[in-house]
Amino acid sequence: MPIKAIQIICLVLLAALLAGCPKPILKGEPSEAEVTTPSEAAVEVNPRAAASLQLTDQGRRLIEDRQPDKAIRLLEQAVSLHPTNGQNYYYLSEAWLMKGSAAQAKEFNQLAEIHLKEDSEWMIRVASQADRIAELEK
Amino acid sequence: MLKKIFKYTLLIFILGGVVLAIYAWHLSARVEKRFSARRWSIPSTVYSDTTLLYPGQRLNPSLFNEKLANLGYNRVDHLPARKGEIRIGPGAMDIFLNDLKTPWNQREGVLVQIGFSENGIGTIRRMDSGETIPILELEPEEIMQFFGQERERRQLISIGQVPEHLIQAVMAAEDHRFFQHHGVDLRGIFRALITNLRHGSIRQGGSTLTQQLAKNYFLTPARTITRKFKEVMLSVIIELKYDKREILEIYLNEIYLGQKGSVAINGVGEAAYFYFGKPVKQLTLSEAAVIAGLIKAPNHYSPYRDITRCRSRRDEVLQAMHRWEWITEAALQAALKQPIKAVGFIASDTKAPYFIDYLTEQLNTLYRPEDLSSLGLSIYTTLDTQVQRAAETALANGLTRLENSNAALQREAPGEKLQGAILVMQPKTGHILALVGGRNYSVSQFNRITQARRQPGSAFKPIVYLSSLSQFTPTSLLSNDPKSYTVNGELWEPQNFEPVTEYTVSLKDALKKSYNLATVDLAMQTGLEHIVDMARRFHFSTPIKPYPSLALGAFEVIPIELARAYCVFAAEGVQPFPLSLKEVVDENDKILEHQYLNIERLITPAEAFVMNSMLQGVVKEGTARSLQWRGVSWPVAGKTGTTNDFRDAWFVGYTPDILALVWVGFDNGDPIKATGAAAALPIWADLMNAIPQYRSGTDFNMPEGVEKILICSVTGLRAVAGCPESSEVYFLAGHAPSEDCPLHDKGGFTGKIIKGVKGLINAN
Repeated sequence: MPIKAIQIICLVLLAALLAGCPKPILKGEPSEAEVTTPSEAAVEVNPRAAASLQLTDQGRRLIEDRQPDKAIRLLEQAVSLHPTNGQNYYYLSEAWLMKGSAAQAKEFNQLAEIHLKEDSEWMIRVASQADRIAELEK
Repeated sequence: MLKKIFKYTLLIFILGGVVLAIYAWHLSARVEKRFSARRWSIPSTVYSDTTLLYPGQRLNPSLFNEKLANLGYNRVDHLPARKGEIRIGPGAMDIFLNDLKTPWNQREGVLVQIGFSENGIGTIRRMDSGETIPILELEPEEIMQFFGQERERRQLISIGQVPEHLIQAVMAAEDHRFFQHHGVDLRGIFRALITNLRHGSIRQGGSTLTQQLAKNYFLTPARTITRKFKEVMLSVIIELKYDKREILEIYLNEIYLGQKGSVAINGVGEAAYFYFGKPVKQLTLSEAAVIAGLIKAPNHYSPYRDITRCRSRRDEVLQAMHRWEWITEAALQAALKQPIKAVGFIASDTKAPYFIDYLTEQLNTLYRPEDLSSLGLSIYTTLDTQVQRAAETALANGLTRLENSNAALQREAPGEKLQGAILVMQPKTGHILALVGGRNYSVSQFNRITQARRQPGSAFKPIVYLSSLSQFTPTSLLSNDPKSYTVNGELWEPQNFEPVTEYTVSLKDALKKSYNLATVDLAMQTGLEHIVDMARRFHFSTPIKPYPSLALGAFEVIPIELARAYCVFAAEGVQPFPLSLKEVVDENDKILEHQYLNIERLITPAEAFVMNSMLQGVVKEGTARSLQWRGVSWPVAGKTGTTNDFRDAWFVGYTPDILALVWVGFDNGDPIKATGAAAALPIWADLMNAIPQYRSGTDFNMPEGVEKILICSVTGLRAVAGCPESSEVYFLAGHAPSEDCPLHDKGGFTGKIIKGVKGLINAN
């Protein structure tokens, strides 16, 4: 039998077998409800995340007003509500930069990087922030 | 002769005058010193954290209602018209918020409606504008006050805040000629004398407000001629040195107006809140007359003691005000018709006493105890009173349940009873939300969270497994065979909790099932010194030595340090400093002390994530799996712990949002005859079920540096299509096994077909 014919028969048989086979048991596979990211979709299903974003925004405005102490308090509350939103850590890092503490700014910058890694726009900001921290450390 | 008498009399008068002048000068100096210095000791007040409310938030209705009651909100049947009132209707709550004033946020009290859904809050909106509110912050709750020996509560007010009708009511009740006399009112004394003679008893006092002030500030309550003389002298001096409104302001802040438990209520500012739940400037005429009427005998006329007597006294004051033409007939009649509605109070014990002790230790490094009891500081903390209450209840119920299930755990003496402790933290911020250091603070003040040193048992194992991650993977195989070790010349033979047939076990399964033999095998291969170093990095302060038993948690730890160690896993590898204090603010709202979340990176996010995945396995399929039928259906990681002879039972469980440690044991080390899963875990579950607001259901984010690989459950290698059972396992990047499962990948018809397909793909 020509080799090509054997391969075709194998392929057809495999398709038939797979159609009747159960899916392997996947332990630890996260369900949709468990998966969270700081995306808008996640915020919609997670009220804590939605509330947290309000505080994040207030914290951002306080940083713009150069009130880092008040901003830190609000951002801490935001972290408490939604610890996986990287924006909170980004702004916490900004607040600590404003207060002149490179060490704390660096820690929060790294956390921001972890949580914002899938957001290319934010990652540009996080990288620029890391540069400013490095500058302060010199 | 006459001339001589006159001469001596004159001399006596001159000498007397000189002595009097010197004495007056002395008293004047005393008055000046006392009034120019700090006039009152104001206790510092400790507050809980604020409470955030938002649409979609889950609630525990009973804890939430208790919270509102503790914040001083009172239920009414009408639409709330003033701050602090609540109307609870079907499916919604109308609430006139109190003002919020914290160092980080301020807002005026407004009327809002909180609409409830099936699980919690549906909507929040302002009732005046209809505007929806995305997040609402409730004011912090008063937890305790640092009293001095006087045990006085006082809210200082300035004379400008006091409504005129309160000043008039006080004058009508006590001294209606206050603005006419010079400290002593001879007409008043004469009138009181006549009244008292007519009744044959003391019915009226002739003391002016200034005299009362002099008496309260400088003199003892003894009724002697000398004291009366001093009182008169001091009153005249006070009047000479200060103007009338200044004297009135001091008086209104000083006067004693009742009792809240063992604490005295002083000043109209505090009394306005104590009796009517509002600031002094909002007191109505009727309420002002009640407070003024109390001065004569605060506890006798208290609305909390006898409302009829209180009303009669109020009416007397109102009549006097009308008599002196300070209020009109119409105002009088309207005020007389007003019912007296005191807000009620709870003379409660100190809330969260173990938390307060822990906080006080830190405050004492910043302030002297006498400053805390006198400077009127506002101390803002991280405590969440709803979580605290849930933790106290869960612990009390859990310990009682254990005692009921096993009579051997029951003890007669209160000091010997089964004990427990709970610490609840936010792993990302280090905020301590609740701390229960023991079963009954009045019996034992020993704080088992911050002061106890107990063996952690298997609850220490995650440190061992973490230490091994550079050499091993979650699927590495460990020996679960019995072995002997020599420690300090002595033979040590660890055993599993119960006999098992698995003589080889994967690392993740050994942690999941808390196998002792495999863990010791892992520790020996990892290096005991390496594990000790890791423990030090994690800030365990107790001595931990490189003995094999270290792997099984044989060295004592302080529970708060164990909880802090687990925070590292929940917080992507950073460790927060445990915070109980947030801010200290002085009377003028100047911030004296900030304590912010302070973090330190200890391990990589990838290492933390791999640990989380293994510790989630403990909850899903391991020693903590009973959580699932205790209502815990959201992603949780955790570890049980049981020490030798069942002396300690532990459970430390966490999500990205919250972490709680539960310990159960006897102070004297008696066995509790139960494992961590049986004794501590149910308490953890009860606690978490009681605080749904902290359940987001969020899972841990997978960071960079982690690989998720489908692994054959039999061989621990990469699963192939023929593997009957497989699961996704998280590895540090580059650490995952590279080989396919050989067991299910060879022979058989399917294997041949797969090979054929591979050949086809390669050929193309």
